[in-house]
Amino acid sequence: MNLTIFLLALFDGISYAALVFIVALGLTLIFGVMRILNVAHGSLYAIGAYATVSLTGFFLALGFAPVFAFPLMLVSAVLVGVLLGGPIEWLLLRRIYDKPEVLQLLVTFAVFMILEDVQRLLWGTQPYFQASALQALGNVTVFGVTYTVYQLILLPLVAICLLFGLRFFLRHTVIGKLILATTEDREAAQSIGIDADRVFLFTFVVGAVLAGLGGALASPTTSILPGMGADMIVLSFAVVATAGLGQIEGAAVTALMIGLGRSFAVYVWPEVAVLVPYLIMVLVLLVRPEGLFGSPVARKI
Amino acid sequence: MTATNKAGTAKPPLLETRELMIKFGGVTAANNVSMQIEAGRNLAIIGPNGAGKTTFLNICTGWIKPRSGKVFLEGEDITPLPPRKIVRRGVARAFQIPQLFTEHTALENLLISAAAREGLRNPLQNLHNIRQRDEMMHLLDLVHCTDVADRVVVELSEGQRKLIDIAVALALKPRLLLMDEPTSGVASSQKHEVMEILVGALAEAGVTSVFVEHDMGIVARHADEVAVWNAGNVQLRGTPQEILEHPDVIRDVIGEEVA
Repeated sequence: MNLTIFLLALFDGISYAALVFIVALGLTLIFGVMRILNVAHGSLYAIGAYATVSLTGFFLALGFAPVFAFPLMLVSAVLVGVLLGGPIEWLLLRRIYDKPEVLQLLVTFAVFMILEDVQRLLWGTQPYFQASALQALGNVTVFGVTYTVYQLILLPLVAICLLFGLRFFLRHTVIGKLILATTEDREAAQSIGIDADRVFLFTFVVGAVLAGLGGALASPTTSILPGMGADMIVLSFAVVATAGLGQIEGAAVTALMIGLGRSFAVYVWPEVAVLVPYLIMVLVLLVRPEGLFGSPVARKI
Repeated sequence: MTATNKAGTAKPPLLETRELMIKFGGVTAANNVSMQIEAGRNLAIIGPNGAGKTTFLNICTGWIKPRSGKVFLEGEDITPLPPRKIVRRGVARAFQIPQLFTEHTALENLLISAAAREGLRNPLQNLHNIRQRDEMMHLLDLVHCTDVADRVVVELSEGQRKLIDIAVALALKPRLLLMDEPTSGVASSQKHEVMEILVGALAEAGVTSVFVEHDMGIVARHADEVAVWNAGNVQLRGTPQEILEHPDVIRDVIGEEVA
């Protein structure tokens, strides 16, 4: 393998890992706090991408500059979080927290399937492309390899900021502490007057915004088409499970492992590239069923 | 109807229950319970297991809703309110097993409580910088736990946890604190000491307490009034001396402990 191929695989892996991590972060936050594995997270990711493409297309047609695509990504993510995440928690999940996990999984899976069809209904089955954000930032050349600034610098930067931002938010702010307290003991939290329902709603909306943001950020780098949500939920679940459910820092490490594993496989042994993330997951879980960073008893987030 | 307290004024009692009824399966846990709790008088609840003592506390704090009957806090009907709203109105609860956030420090537990009480005016502030920090240190001082302020709760002894649990409840600025066996799990040599600190802290904070207790020594020394529970209702009520010398109580409740 020569240096060029190595760097390409490295950069592919890093930018891909950054995207998967952002989505996995929301998934693991929701699981860590609410103990719900939200399959519909994949749809929120896809709708975040679709919304960004539509909004960007609309505003660029009105004559706005391409950099305007960036604030629109944020807008899309927040819209997905508030308009979809909010009602999902409020109308559905709130009723099933004390139900068996299988039922919870089925409910979020049902939401996922409904939202998949909603996407087809709204955006059809034709792929969409919208790369203005990618082009707006231009390219950078590293050791003779030219790569987009968007994928090589912006995506990893956003991922790192979100990782440290969420860590800081949970451990050092009042509301973060109230979330952690509710996570640790819901009844005790209520007995000191914490509105656990609102804490859960807020957490779910934040998680949903992260899914939407993942989709928004992914939109310039890929074609937007039906099924992208399913791919992403499976992959981000692999990342979260490999790290240990609820492990935020761990998810960053496993996202990188899985992202790099996949991208190097693409260059070295393309036939198994799709398999690599799951091979990594299976190997890790065979040895450590609680995940690389999970502990079998205590739950920490 | 407004109940009239002993002084003859029209001020309603701190807490009043009227005709509380609830059954669990075939067991009547509250059978027409009508109680008045006056501010400033610490009430001990004694009685055999299954008499409905804990159920009574749970109804007063909103964790269990009665099938019929009502709970009034200073004349206001609080029966339909969820627990967290009842807490905010001034009725706090301490459980038999302290409900502390064990992965946080003692001080953080109090700060979380204070933050929950105040609502989130500045949600992104650092928990340790909130305005109530000095107030919380004072509460830790009241329960003689300032030396363990920065220790994580898992590292603390049961007695310390009990005291910190009370401080957490006091951080909510309650007017009434309902406690389920405040000294259970504490080494018997330390029970009186823990109770002494606890009652002192409550008096200092101006909080009236109702506590379920099995240890008659504690009841005799720390309660102003005693209510004897039996089969889902109050059987007797009086001063500790009256109650502990009552022949029925000696027979049914204290039994061999004293004899």
